[in-house]
Amino acid sequence: MSGLEIDGVAIEDTFAEAFGMRATRLIVTAANRAWAQHAAISATGFATSVIACGCEAGIERELSARETPDGRPGVAILIFAMSSKDLQKQVERRTGQCLLTCPTTAAYGGIAAETAREWLGLGRSLRYFGDGFQISKLIDGKRYWRIPVMDGEFVCDEKAGLVKGIGGGNFLILAQDQRAALRAAERAVAAMREIGSIILPFPGGVVRSGSKVGSKYKALLASTNDAYCPTLRGLTRSQLPASVGAVLEIVIDGLDADSIRLAMRAGIESACHRGSERGVVGITAGNYGGKLGPHHFHLQEVLT
Amino acid sequence: MTPLTFRLRAPPPCLVDASPLVPAQLAGKQRNEIERLSLQGWNQSFAVGDLFTVTGDDHGRIALEGLNGSMIRVGAGLEDGELTVIGHAGQYAGESMRGGTLSIRGDAGDYAGAGMRGGTLIVSGRAGDFVGSGRSGEMHGMSGGCIVVRGDSGDRTGDRMRRGLLLIEGDTGSYCASRMVAGTLVALGRAGVHPGYLMHRGTLLLADRGVEVPPTFNHNGRHELLAIRLLLDSLAQYGNAFKQFARHRRFDRWLGDLGCEGKGEMLIPA
Repeated sequence: MSGLEIDGVAIEDTFAEAFGMRATRLIVTAANRAWAQHAAISATGFATSVIACGCEAGIERELSARETPDGRPGVAILIFAMSSKDLQKQVERRTGQCLLTCPTTAAYGGIAAETAREWLGLGRSLRYFGDGFQISKLIDGKRYWRIPVMDGEFVCDEKAGLVKGIGGGNFLILAQDQRAALRAAERAVAAMREIGSIILPFPGGVVRSGSKVGSKYKALLASTNDAYCPTLRGLTRSQLPASVGAVLEIVIDGLDADSIRLAMRAGIESACHRGSERGVVGITAGNYGGKLGPHHFHLQEVLT
Repeated sequence: MTPLTFRLRAPPPCLVDASPLVPAQLAGKQRNEIERLSLQGWNQSFAVGDLFTVTGDDHGRIALEGLNGSMIRVGAGLEDGELTVIGHAGQYAGESMRGGTLSIRGDAGDYAGAGMRGGTLIVSGRAGDFVGSGRSGEMHGMSGGCIVVRGDSGDRTGDRMRRGLLLIEGDTGSYCASRMVAGTLVALGRAGVHPGYLMHRGTLLLADRGVEVPPTFNHNGRHELLAIRLLLDSLAQYGNAFKQFARHRRFDRWLGDLGCEGKGEMLIPA
């Protein structure tokens, strides 16, 4: 490691490699915050990685009643997938199974019409659940669907905007032990959650099982990132100095590169705050030599 | 630039079709060309200059002044721009309009906004029968846009209406929303007999708690519906009366007309 340090924590001169995705924002509202959260948590569940989940999703932020289309408390969620078709499938399934089913909820598209590149069907296909009793309502030029359900009506936009997003922004926190790594990661996540237009799709925003491309097993596309596993030091070509006892990664998906940069900066600065006395050793990032993704986030650039 | 203004010199001897006096048809024309334009009457045609005094130069904003109901199809087919009528706009005002704004400072005759597809039609006075309906023989009424009548409207308001927003601040005549296919009709005054007659789908909001709901509507219960809240909140932009009405949250909901498809809803404040 060379160059930049924050509070005694070395920032490696490397970059996070990210790739293009398709993304959308949904606004979920409900009778109160609790039910909006139930719906949003459910809709963004099992969505850590596109590899096995089909999409990456997370809660962007809570919305006050003044910020939502229907004047009720809400939550903004972001969903990312590798193609428009995949995203359509995931939006449809998650809306149908997690939002439609949740008491009192309504779902709206959260991407402004002028920024949408394409449109995803939201109520367009979900309406058929109404079995012919669904009602379409055009309000201020926007079509809504009213689907009769047992607590009244499920209201949703006919469509939601799709934009180009970026997935796979990341950085790794190298710490003396697991406890120090976890605390640094928690500080980073708390700071990053304040940034809009991004999500941290992994549990609690943190990944412990960083992966490399390929495996000794032919059937597997990815396997454990042995160079960063402290229990493999001495056995494999480890990237970890002797002082590192645990590594945690934070993965960021965002609607634009600037938001990812902002989030990385906030996260790294928080993780490194009084880092040397808290057992944080270094910050690095995951990349594939620049061949996989077109978006490169150089740590030292992000921080300056 | 001042609005291109047509002031009626004297009432013509018969009804005259004023539909050519819209921005799209006058664009790029000099005033003398405009004055030579022909307007079709019952059995004869008239030069614009013989009927109107023409002033102003903004072809995107047109005003017709001093009308007495002898002009018909005022603003028909309007696509963009502003057309202001001062006086009685006559029959078929705003017929088949697709965009722009037609403001009538006065009354409108029968069939105002008939077959309308887009834009905004505002009548400050009262409107005649068949507002927002289809022309005689047509299968559908208005299919887009917004009509606001500040006064009363006549019978069969919104007949066969298919889409769009029809707002009546005053009273409505008999059979409002008759044969309605879809869309939204809001009436803030008293409603005449047989509202929603043979209504297929669509939403009919009536402020008149004393209205006699036809027997072919079933009471659906009292509801506070989110979609209706969204709809009412959007009406605030159409004036104070609608803003006041938007305060209602709970409605008696009636479903019908069961004499046909029966998927329409009539909502009356609880």
